Formats: sequence, C-alpha cells, structure tokens
Amino acid sequence: MVFSATYALTDLRMILRETAPSHELDAEKRVQAERLLDNLERQVAALKQEMLK
Amino acid sequence: MRCGAGIEARQVNELFINIDPIQAGGRLTGDAIKAIIAYGDGYSVCDNCRKPNRLDYIAKPPIVDFHKDVASWLNMDTARVVPGARRGFQAVTHTYVQKGDPVLLTSLSHYTEFLAVEGAGGVAREIPANAEHIITADATAAKIEEVQRETGKPPVLAFIDHVDYQFGNMHDVAAITKVAHQYDIPVLYNGAYTVGILPVDGKSLGADFVVGSGHKSMAAPAPSGILATTTEHAQQLFRTTTIEGDVTKRRFGIKEPEMMGCTLMGATLVGMMASFPHVKERVKHFDLELAHNKIIIDALRSIDGTKILSEYPRRHTLTRVDTTGSFDRVAETHKKRGFYLSSALADHGVTGVIPGATRIWKFNSYGTTKRQAEHLAAAFVAIADENGLRVTR
Repeated sequence: MVFSATYALTDLRMILRETAPSHELDAEKRVQAERLLDNLERQVAALKQEMLK
Repeated sequence: MRCGAGIEARQVNELFINIDPIQAGGRLTGDAIKAIIAYGDGYSVCDNCRKPNRLDYIAKPPIVDFHKDVASWLNMDTARVVPGARRGFQAVTHTYVQKGDPVLLTSLSHYTEFLAVEGAGGVAREIPANAEHIITADATAAKIEEVQRETGKPPVLAFIDHVDYQFGNMHDVAAITKVAHQYDIPVLYNGAYTVGILPVDGKSLGADFVVGSGHKSMAAPAPSGILATTTEHAQQLFRTTTIEGDVTKRRFGIKEPEMMGCTLMGATLVGMMASFPHVKERVKHFDLELAHNKIIIDALRSIDGTKILSEYPRRHTLTRVDTTGSFDRVAETHKKRGFYLSSALADHGVTGVIPGATRIWKFNSYGTTKRQAEHLAAAFVAIADENGLRVTR
C-alpha cells in the first residue's frame, strides 16, 4: 500500500513535469490525474485502516 | 520543503521547462523514480546475488537480461554497466594504452576523454575540426599520418564522439572508423549524447567500443553508463582477475579488474533498467524531438542578430547559440546586466540557460513536448520584444 500510494504520487509528479510550467491539464491528463488521485485516496484510507487499527 | 538537513527538495523539472544542455536526456522516467524509491538502500540489488557472485549474473532483479539486452540493442556482443561514461573511457584506456602511446582525440572531445588518456599515461593527439566544426575522415587520416611521421607508430586508440558536447554536431563515425581501421586503430564510439537519444548500431558504425551515459542520455540516475564491445575485444577488456594474496592465497573468482568487481549495485542500476524500455522506444521517435527543436530554433532565428553556431539544419537537439548581436546588446544597459536573460526566462517558467550568459550559450530541447517547445519559442520572442529587439515574423 505504501508503494502503491507513493507510485500514484510519482505518476502525478510526472504529469507536473509533462505540463510544466503552466500545469494546465488537457482532457486526457485531467482524466489521468483524477484516476491517480482517486487511487491515492483509496491507498491512504487503506493505510489508515491497517496501521492505526 | 526539505528532504534532509539543508537539502531542499528539487523541483526544477516540475516547475520549469529545463533546457540545461547536460540534463535533458537524463531526466528520469516515472518508472525509474519508482525503482529508486524501492531500491534506494545501499547494496539493494544484491539480495539475490549467488555464485559466481558478479553483478551481471544477478537474475533477480533481471540484471543478467539487462546486460544482454543492452548489448543486443546497440548491436554489440557484450556490455557492462559503469559509473558514468568516463569510467567506460577509463576501462578502455587502462587496457589498451601504455605510457607514451599516442591516442587520437578530437578538437571537440570531452575533457573526461583527455583525463582517461592521461590516467593511462597516453599522449593526446587531436584531430582538428573543420571550419564548420565537423570532424572528417580526411582530417582523421591526415592526423594519423602526422602522428606516424612524428612518433614512428600509429595511435593505439581513437575516441570519436558521434555528437560532440560543444556544438551538438553529428560526425561521420562510420567513415572515420573506416579510416582508423585501415591503420589497425580500434575506435571508441562516444555515445554520451546519442545512446538513449537516437538509434545506435555499433557494428554498422564500426565501433570497437561503445560508451553511453546513463545520466546524460538514458534517463538514469548519476553516475551510470554503459560500455559495450565486440567479442574480439571483450576477452581483453573484460578479462578476469588472476591476482592471489601471498598470505591468504585468496583469489577473487571471475571479478573483472577494469570493472573493479561490481559497478552499479543499487539505485543507479535499477533506475537505468526501469527506464530502459522507455529509452528503447523513445530513440525511435527522435524525428519528433528534432521537430520540437526546430520550433525553438525558428523562434531564435527570427530575433535579429541571433546566430545558430551548431550545424544547421539541426541533427541533434543540443544546440549552441550566439546572441551577441541580440540578447547581449540588451545586457549592456539592462539593470540586471547579463543576468536579465536567465531571469526573464525563469519568469516564463524556463530554466537551464547559464545565469549571466547572453553571448554564446547552449540549450538542449530533448524531451520537451510540442506544447512546451511552443512555450519556449514564445518565451524567447517575448523577451526579445520586451527588450526592444527586432523580431522578423
């Protein structure tokens, strides 16, 4: 889960690199970013459940 | 944001379009960053090192396959990973150059090639570039003849950069190699700006050794690189140790002295390996990189007084520019003097041009998207406009 979350953040980081300096996302990048952020939220929620139980 | 005491988190490539001439091809892929996160610990690739205990035999992660793939991709017979291209140069000179031996370099050779020759006790003999800053086969033949006349023997090795670091010009390696081989001089192909950037076929070029830079052109962390050779040379270059301790009688298996045993034992290697599939793919699309470079070059050429010092049309994205007649004129009276250009570029979200440089400078557009190339072009023109330089539209 730690890697999954970190890797989702890495993919987001790559979007920032590809769209620098304006970081304006076209439709395709927006869909990609939304998917990554949703996945990140899921991974963080799972981590909370596992580590803080 | 800090990642350690006094160490700011580096966000250069997230916040800016980075056209630093030596950084463009070494920007990591997402997979390389992920690999580094997992393999950052010291000897991380050694978890599954088994006899015969050598890096290029490790199967998990698939380092053994990576070595084979790299050699095959370059159309060479054998490859090793090295801590930077310079260590590849050093391994070759240490094997083939004796004290006082003449070695062919060029007037555009990188300093590390000179140091590799110096370290082995060799004597640097430079093939001069012509007026267009190109190294030719004819100049190579003339230099070999000159060295033979003066020393009574031909050079023992030739370093030829396919694309040089000063102008980003492309030199006819195949023709130069053909000449060198007529004198039985082995050729080291320096692919620091080509291996990982554009297709390289070592045997077609006649290379005896191919050296590439991981951190300059293979989207890998520093220090990393590759050294590939032919079966003919592999036995000598990658000879195994024969030393034995007189007290302990210890011997060291199949470790290779020129590699100092194992070379890249962690994050550098897995970073290079993780990027490799992307690198293999990206070299097929170098025409796109040149198209993006042209967008920027056209914008620069539209600014009166700006000259492209590299060969034109461009055959590589590393480009040397002379703005003495344009941006430097502004620097004479600007309150920030020569620093205004890099400062203005930063305001446009662009970095990588040496602060203070307004006369002769280099940039490398490798890896920019079309949109980023258009942004760069617009930024140069806007800065020219803002400072009263004439732009031909």
